[in-house]
Amino acid sequence: MTKPAQQSGPRGPRDERVFPATKREYSSLLSMSVQFPRRKRDVCLFRRGSVPRLTHCSPFVLLVLSLHACLVQGAEPVRLTTDGHAKRDPVFSSPQETELLYVLLEKPNQLRLMKRSLVDATTVPLHPGETRSEFEPAVSRDGHFLAFVQSRGNLSLALVIVDIMNNRTYDVPPGGGFSGLRSPAFTPDQQRVLFSYPEEGRQQIYSVDVQGKDRKTLIDSQGVNNWPHFSREGSSFVFSSSRDDDFEIYAADANGENARRLTTSPGQDIRPRFSPDGSRIAFTSNRDGNYEVYVMRSDGSDLVRITNHPEQDDYPIWTANGKQLVLLSERNGSFDFYRYEIP
Amino acid sequence: MFDIGSFRASTCQGIGRRSFLKWGASIPAGLMLGSPRVLHAAPAAKAKSVIFVWLWGAPSHIDTFDPKPKAPSQYRGPFATIATQQPGVHYSELLPRLAARSDRFSLIRSHVTSQPGHPDAGTVGLTGFEERPEPVQPNFGAIVGKHRGHQGSLPPFAMIGRGIPRDVVRKIDGYGGGKFGKGADPFMVSCADDGTVEIPSLQLLEGLTPNRISDRHEIRSRLDATLRQLDRAGMSEWDRTYQRAYGLIASPQSRAAFDLTQESQATRDSYGQTTFGQSCLLARRLVEAEVPYIQVNWSEYVECMTPNCDFGWDTHIYNFELLQDTHCPIFDRAFSALLDDLQSRGLLDSTLVVAMGEFGRSPRITNRAARDHWSRCYFSLWSGGGVQPGRVIGSSDKYAEDPLTTAITPKMVGTTICDLAGVDTQARAELKVLEGGTVIQELL
Repeated sequence: MTKPAQQSGPRGPRDERVFPATKREYSSLLSMSVQFPRRKRDVCLFRRGSVPRLTHCSPFVLLVLSLHACLVQGAEPVRLTTDGHAKRDPVFSSPQETELLYVLLEKPNQLRLMKRSLVDATTVPLHPGETRSEFEPAVSRDGHFLAFVQSRGNLSLALVIVDIMNNRTYDVPPGGGFSGLRSPAFTPDQQRVLFSYPEEGRQQIYSVDVQGKDRKTLIDSQGVNNWPHFSREGSSFVFSSSRDDDFEIYAADANGENARRLTTSPGQDIRPRFSPDGSRIAFTSNRDGNYEVYVMRSDGSDLVRITNHPEQDDYPIWTANGKQLVLLSERNGSFDFYRYEIP
Repeated sequence: MFDIGSFRASTCQGIGRRSFLKWGASIPAGLMLGSPRVLHAAPAAKAKSVIFVWLWGAPSHIDTFDPKPKAPSQYRGPFATIATQQPGVHYSELLPRLAARSDRFSLIRSHVTSQPGHPDAGTVGLTGFEERPEPVQPNFGAIVGKHRGHQGSLPPFAMIGRGIPRDVVRKIDGYGGGKFGKGADPFMVSCADDGTVEIPSLQLLEGLTPNRISDRHEIRSRLDATLRQLDRAGMSEWDRTYQRAYGLIASPQSRAAFDLTQESQATRDSYGQTTFGQSCLLARRLVEAEVPYIQVNWSEYVECMTPNCDFGWDTHIYNFELLQDTHCPIFDRAFSALLDDLQSRGLLDSTLVVAMGEFGRSPRITNRAARDHWSRCYFSLWSGGGVQPGRVIGSSDKYAEDPLTTAITPKMVGTTICDLAGVDTQARAELKVLEGGTVIQELL
C-alpha cells in the first residue's frame, strides 16, 4: 500500500503557452508551437491570467488562433470554460450535447447548478433563485428526467428527481440525523435512478423509480460503494468500491449481481463512466500520485492514460460519438472543463 | 468590530442606524489610533509573526497525518499511505505535496482535548481553557496581540475567514479577546477564491476600491453622504470613530497588506483558486506587514460540503469522498504553497506556522460509513518560528484511538505559541494567562 511521494515542489517552466495579445506575439507563438517538444498531452491553450487579454484581440487574431488550435495542435484539449472557479460534476443536458450542465462553487456556502451553452459560450444558473446547494446532476438518456442532490440542512442531502416533460418533481428525502443520498444515475430505460447511501457501517448502491419510490438494493458490500453509471444498452453498470481496500472499479449486472473487479492498482480508482457503445470505461485514478483520467476496455484491459499533469484531472464524461471526453482540469490552481480527443 | 466599508462591493447598500451604532460601540481597541499600545517590544521573540491555521470542524487524523495501514478495514478506510521525507513516516495518499515537504515542518500525533463538541472544544483549542468557569480566556492571538501591540495602523490580531467559527448552535466563545474584552477581538477579514478581500469592518463604504480609498475627497464625500442618513444624536461619536477608521484605511501600508492584486499571477496560482488558498496568501502578506498574529479559518463557510451550516472538516457523512474530492487537495496545495512562499521570501524562520483543528475523528468507521468526533487523539503541524522541522512528536496506538506517548494539550499548544512569539513566562504571568501551561520542548 505504500508508494513514493510525488515530488511536487516548485516547478520549472510550464508547458503551457500564453494567449498572445498581438499579431506579432501570435506569429511568434506559431513559430514556437511547431518546435515545442510536447512532453505533456494536456497542454492548455490559455493561461488563466491571460484570459482577460482576449478583449484586446481583434476578431482576426481570434479566428486565426482558433484555426491554429484546431489544425496545428490537433488533438490538444479544447477549453470549454474560462472562469477558473471551483467546479465539478459535468453532464450533457441533452442528447444534442449543445449544453453542459455542471456544478459551480458560486460562493463558499453555495454549490449551484449551471448551464453552459457550447454554442455561444454563455453560462446561466439552472435554478437562479435557489438558495440551497445543488450538485451531482444526472440527466436521463433523452433528457426527459433530471436528478440531482440538494442540501436540506445540517449534513442532510436529499435526492431530487425532476420529470422535465411533465413538470413534476419528486424527492427522496434523507434519513434522520446526519444523512444523505449521493451520485444519482439513470438506468438507460429511464425507469429508475441509482444512488449511493450510507447506513449500517457501509455505503451501498440503491435504486428508486423516477417517482422516488420502490427502493431496491443493488450493491451491498463492506466498505464504500459509490459513483454508479449504467451502460447504454442496460445490461450492466459500473461503480467504485472500497470493499477490497482502496477504491477500485467494479462492474455488475443490471440487477446488481455478479459484481466483478475491473482494476487492481494502488490508489483510488473512482467515478467510472461507460462509453456510449459500452466498450470502454473512463475513470479517475491517483495511481501515479495525483488525479489523472484513464480509459480502459470494459473488461479492464488496455488501460490508456488520457491526462498527464501535476495538477488534478477528474470528472470525465463521454461525448455521444465516443471519441471525446469532457473533464475537469486544474491548471495553475484554477478549474475549468476541457474536451479531449480519445485515441 | 465596526462596519464602515469594503474593498470589494460595487453597489452602495446604504446604512441603517443600527449598524452605525454597532460600529461605534464595538470597534476593537487595537485599531484605535493614538491609544496606548505596545506593551512589550518582544525582543526575544523567535516568531515575529504567527499564522495559526484553524481547521474548524476537526479533520480526520487517521485519514491524513496519522494513518494506520495495518488496522482492520473498519478503522483504516480506503486510503493508502505514501512515504515522506522522513524514513518510516507515512501520510495519507491524499497529501502528496505535504509528504514531499515533510522536512519543513514537525508533526504532533498525540494531541488530546477535554471537550467532544465543536464550540466547547473550539474554545479549548483556541484558548487552552474550557468556557466554564467564566471568564472565557483570551484566544492565543489576543494574548500575542496584547503583548506585542500593533505595528503602525495595522491590527495586532487578524482573523481571516467568513465570520467567527460556529456550529449550528453557537459560535466559539473563545474566538477573541475573552477576559481581555472586545478591544482584543480579532480584526476580521475574508477573502474570496478570486482573491477579492472583504473587510467587514469597512462595509459602510461599499463601492470603494483600494485605489479609490486613497482619495481623501472620495472617502469624505461618502462619509458625509452617510452622515446625512444618521440621527444628529450620533454625530459626535461618528466623528470620533471616523477618525480612527480613516487612520486604518488611509494608510498605504494597511491598504497594501490587504491587496492581493499586488501578487504575481504565479504566486496566486500556486495557492490555488480557492477561498482557503487565497486566505493563506493573504496571511503571508499580513506577515510581511508585520502583523503579529494571523488566524486563518477553514470556516466559516469555506469550500462548503453541506452548506447553510458551518461544518468545515466535520465529515459525519461522506468523510472519504469529501476528503478525497475537496478538503485534502485544497489543504495540501494551499498549505504547501504557504510554506514554500514563506521560505522563498526568507520569512519562515521568523514566522511560526501552526495548523490544527479542535479534535480528531473517530478511528472506527461509523454507521454512516464516515467518522464522528474524537477528542482522544488528533494532530497538529508546526513550522518555522523557532520550531525544529522534520520531527514526528508523539505517537498513537494501533488504531489511532489514544496517544501512546505523553498527551499534548491545547494549553501546551498555546503556551508554546505564545512563548515563541515572545510572550514568555513572566509576560504570561503579568497578563494572567495560560497559567500552568508548559512549552512543548520536543518542538524546539
